[in-house]
Amino acid sequence: MLFDDKDFNFDFSFFEIPGSDFNRVDNILAPKEGFLKGNLFRNEYVPYKKYTYLPIEPKSKREEKLCKIQELSFAINDLNLYLDLHPEDNEAYNLMKKYVYEMNRLMVEYDKMYGPLTLDEVEQSKYEWIDNPWPWDNEGGHMYV
Amino acid sequence: MFKYVKHTNYPINIRKKDLRMAKYILTQFGGANGELAAAMRYFSQKFTMPDEKGKALLNDIATEELGHCEMIATMVHQLTKDASLKELEEAGLGSYYADHNKGIYPVDASGVPFTATYFAVTADPIADLMEDMAAEQKARAVYENLIDLAKDEDVLAPLLFLRQREVVHFNRFKELYEYYKKLGY
Repeated sequence: MLFDDKDFNFDFSFFEIPGSDFNRVDNILAPKEGFLKGNLFRNEYVPYKKYTYLPIEPKSKREEKLCKIQELSFAINDLNLYLDLHPEDNEAYNLMKKYVYEMNRLMVEYDKMYGPLTLDEVEQSKYEWIDNPWPWDNEGGHMYV
Repeated sequence: MFKYVKHTNYPINIRKKDLRMAKYILTQFGGANGELAAAMRYFSQKFTMPDEKGKALLNDIATEELGHCEMIATMVHQLTKDASLKELEEAGLGSYYADHNKGIYPVDASGVPFTATYFAVTADPIADLMEDMAAEQKARAVYENLIDLAKDEDVLAPLLFLRQREVVHFNRFKELYEYYKKLGY
């Protein structure tokens, strides 16, 4: 089932909404909505034919946490490309900073519970980097890693 | 250098094998307009971009494209891993099996292997960026063809995501192109 754009409730709960006098940041979608659409900047969304985007429904706490990390990683990536051409835009940079701090916090939490996503996290008492699933596996009910 | 992150850019969980789609989607790994060509194009062009903006943008889009290679390869792997030899042969993948079994090898939808001649490096920022803009439009068009051919939502969702990334990358390249034109390159 494809989402209608209007059906989407985005979650601003842990992000501050930037001031209304700031048109460019107003134009930035919440990470979750941007992630589903494939663009963080609202005016860049160009759907194909009748297609919009599909909902992602995590089936476990683990999937939910990883999905949140993927959303933030996506938001950081799209802000990164924008900032490469607008390095003077401090409001966009501050937004990216906020997302980076939040993602790093979630990645440490994820490592503690399920194992590392990068070799920068070493929260486990033994080496678990090699453990399945790898991102291309979809056996064993692990949907997102 | 590069650091690996142990998750895909966008979730991929294809539950139903589909050899027909696998054969088509593989072109976005090894085809002329695919993600591998994109990654190698921007990676190679970044060394002669004239300023910080160009170096950063080509570096960072190249990095994202490597993640897209992994997404496409993951899709093909999940679409084929449970197929029997008979099913592969019936889908026209017998000759692919002869060379690669169920390995993921960069070829286009007709089985032609990847080649570096799919992209250019001129060290002229205007020529390189104009190629990059065209490449993003061609990749978008191929994703639209694949979306037309797909039926399963598990396949459609990542294709729609990847198509939209082509739109965004085109916009960034165009912005840089226009900026360089203004600077007189």
